[in-house]
Amino acid sequence: MQSLGDATWQALLLLLRGDGELWEIIGISFRVSVSAIAIAIPPALLTAFLLAHLAFPGRRLLISLFNTLLSLPAVVVGLTVYLLLSRQGPLGEWRLLFTQSAMVLAQIILSFPILVSMSHAAFQAADQRAWETARTLGISPLRAFFMVVGEVRFGLLAAILAGFGRIIAEVGASMMVGGNILHHTRNIPTAIALETSRGNFSQGIALGIVLLLLAFLLNMSLQYFQGRGKLAA
Amino acid sequence: MNALSTLSEIHYREIHQFFHRRHLLDGLSLSLEGGHATLLSGENGSGKTTLLRILSGLTAPARCLVDFGAGKIPWGKCRRKLQREVMYLHQQPYMFDGNVVRNLALALPRTMPKLQRRKKIRQALEWAQLDGFAGECAKTLSGGEKQRVSLARAWLRQSKFLLLDEPIANMDRESQTRTVALLKRLKNARAALMISSHNHEIFHELIDHRLTLDRGKLLPTQSAPLPANVTQLIARNRPGGTSTGNAAR
Repeated sequence: MQSLGDATWQALLLLLRGDGELWEIIGISFRVSVSAIAIAIPPALLTAFLLAHLAFPGRRLLISLFNTLLSLPAVVVGLTVYLLLSRQGPLGEWRLLFTQSAMVLAQIILSFPILVSMSHAAFQAADQRAWETARTLGISPLRAFFMVVGEVRFGLLAAILAGFGRIIAEVGASMMVGGNILHHTRNIPTAIALETSRGNFSQGIALGIVLLLLAFLLNMSLQYFQGRGKLAA
Repeated sequence: MNALSTLSEIHYREIHQFFHRRHLLDGLSLSLEGGHATLLSGENGSGKTTLLRILSGLTAPARCLVDFGAGKIPWGKCRRKLQREVMYLHQQPYMFDGNVVRNLALALPRTMPKLQRRKKIRQALEWAQLDGFAGECAKTLSGGEKQRVSLARAWLRQSKFLLLDEPIANMDRESQTRTVALLKRLKNARAALMISSHNHEIFHELIDHRLTLDRGKLLPTQSAPLPANVTQLIARNRPGGTSTGNAAR
C-alpha cells in the first residue's frame, strides 16, 4: 500500500504530465455540472423571487419543502432518476440512462433545492424599496426582477457556489444514472470511488486535488465579485 | 419602459383598508390634479403611508375604485397603470448600486439614443443642483442628496403624479429648502403633488389643499395662522416685500 506522501507525489506527476484519461474525466465533470447548474439557475431564481415577493396559500409549506429537500441524499435522487429513465420507467423512451444527459438531469434535481432555498433567503433580505422604486420608474417587471437580482448578487452568487459545490462532488446520483463508463460518464467523484476501490490511490488523490483546486478557484472568483468581502459603505 | 400617458387627473373613490381588524381607511375619496399640491397630515399610524401606497398601486386596498376619466374601475384592474402613472417617493429614497448617473439613467427609456441620454442626465443634475455628484456612489449620499436624486428621476420621467412620503424628514434646513424649491418647479411643470408631512410651515407657499387623515376619514384642514416670525420671513423673501399674513390658499 502506498503512503499518503507517495500517493500525493504520484498524483501531482499525473496532473503535470497531462495524463489524457485524467483530464478527460475532469472535462466530463465540468461539462455535466456546469450544464446542470446553468439549466437550474433561471427557474430556481425565479421560484425564489416569487416565494419572497408573492403571498399565496401554501407558500410557507413550499419554503419548508425546499428547505427539507436540502437534506435529500444523492443516491435517492439517483434511484428516482434511474427508475424514471429505465426501460420500464415513464421516461424510458428517451433512452437517456447511462448518458451524460441523465447525469445532468440528476444534478439539476440535486442543486435545485439549495439554489431556491439560499436565493430565497437573499431575496427576502433585499430591500423592498428596490422593486418598488424600479416599478415606479416605469421599468418592466422582468427588468425590475433583474435589477433586484443585481442588488442581491452576493447572496445569489453564494447560492450558486453552494449548489455547484453540491453537484460537482456528489457520487451517488452520477454513479447510478451515469454508470461510471470511461470516456462517457466517468466524472471526478465516481472515478475517485473506482480508483480507491482498485487500490489506485495516486489517481484518486490526483482527482481529489483537482476537486479542491476547483473549489479554491470558485471561492476566489466569488471573492472577486464580492470586492474585498467587507461590509458595504 | 412604458411611455407616460397624457393624463392630467385621477380620481379615487371608496378607498377602504383594514389593519389588524381596524378600519384604517374608511371609504375615502380624493383626486390628484395636475398643477395642484396637497398636504396630507395626520398622527403617526393614521394611515398616511398606506393611503399613498394604495394611490400609487403598491399596496392592495380592501376596496377602491379608480377613475382615469373614462369611468370607475376596480383598483385591482388598474394596478399596473397606477404604478406606471403615479410615482411614489419613499421617505428614504432607494438608490441602486452604482453612481448617481446610473441611478438617473434608470428613469429614461432604454431606447433613448446615447447622446440624448447624456444630455438629459446632465440637465437633470443641473436641475437638482447635483452637478458635482455625477460620479458619486449613490448609496453613500446624504438623505437630502438622495431625495434630490429621486426628484431628478421624477423630473426625467416627467411624472404627472407624485406622492411624497415625508420628503423632508430628518433633513437640515438647507436641504429642506432645496427640496421644496424642486417640488415647486415640478408643480409649475403641471405635476400633481401629494405630500405627507408633519411640517406645515415649510410647504406653506407650495400647498393648495390641506387634508388630515383622522380615524380613517379625510378631513379638509384649515391652515393654522403662521407664527409672526415665519410670516415676516415669507414677506422678506417675496418680491415686493410686504407681509400678507397667511399665504395658504
